[in-house]
Amino acid sequence: MKRGKDQEASAAKLQRKDVPEARQLRKQAGDWLKQRRADAGLSQVDLAERLGLKYYTFISQVENGFSRVPTETMAAWATALDLEPAAFAKHLLLYYEPELHRLLFGAKK
Amino acid sequence: MSVVAFERKQNTGLWSETELNTIVAALNIALASGNGRGWETGMTEKGDAQWYLLGPLPDQACELCVSRIGGRYILENGSGRLLFEHHNLALVAMHARAAVRSTRWGLVARVMLLWCTARHMIHEEIEPLLIESEEMLVHLAPQLTVFA
Repeated sequence: MKRGKDQEASAAKLQRKDVPEARQLRKQAGDWLKQRRADAGLSQVDLAERLGLKYYTFISQVENGFSRVPTETMAAWATALDLEPAAFAKHLLLYYEPELHRLLFGAKK
Repeated sequence: MSVVAFERKQNTGLWSETELNTIVAALNIALASGNGRGWETGMTEKGDAQWYLLGPLPDQACELCVSRIGGRYILENGSGRLLFEHHNLALVAMHARAAVRSTRWGLVARVMLLWCTARHMIHEEIEPLLIESEEMLVHLAPQLTVFA
């Protein structure tokens, strides 16, 4: 089915080398967030409810790597995922602002 | 007489060609502006379709997102702010176009403000310096011609 293939190809494009680094890092952040949500035993709907969102679509937007967790709601995300807000923000900074993370906390690993 | 209860077809899964065409046609101005702008599709955990308008390079962050949940279309910006929702996609696409326009006009307004500030600074700071040096030149020119 053509449109199915088109949309699969579109998702596969994320893995390609010509995808900007910022986007690849956002996708990694999204995967990490998805894993943390799974660890907390929450669905996207559950997390959206905890964050007071009407729809869960923004959770998917972030986890798919197209958007960031907004700074003003980072603490709420962390709390909803049973994580310590400072550690949560520090880890996300690694993906969202890698150079700033390096300057503040030194080299990765 | 009994009424037959028709089960309403659940509108889930991938975007149809018609849906994609409706969204892309409405946002063609933003998409044609270049700079690496584009669009992608995705899925929520529950299999609901999402369409993302990506901003310019190098970030290509999501500027607008249209999602379809149970036959209802949801328009959000890249920060998750709910902009509009309706069961009519054409109407949602129209709002998406308006949202992109307002973003662009906001940018134009900021550029104009920057331009006015720069002009004001030139007028206030640099022009007096130029006038001062011009006056100095007028004073010194006759003396310099004596040495020449």
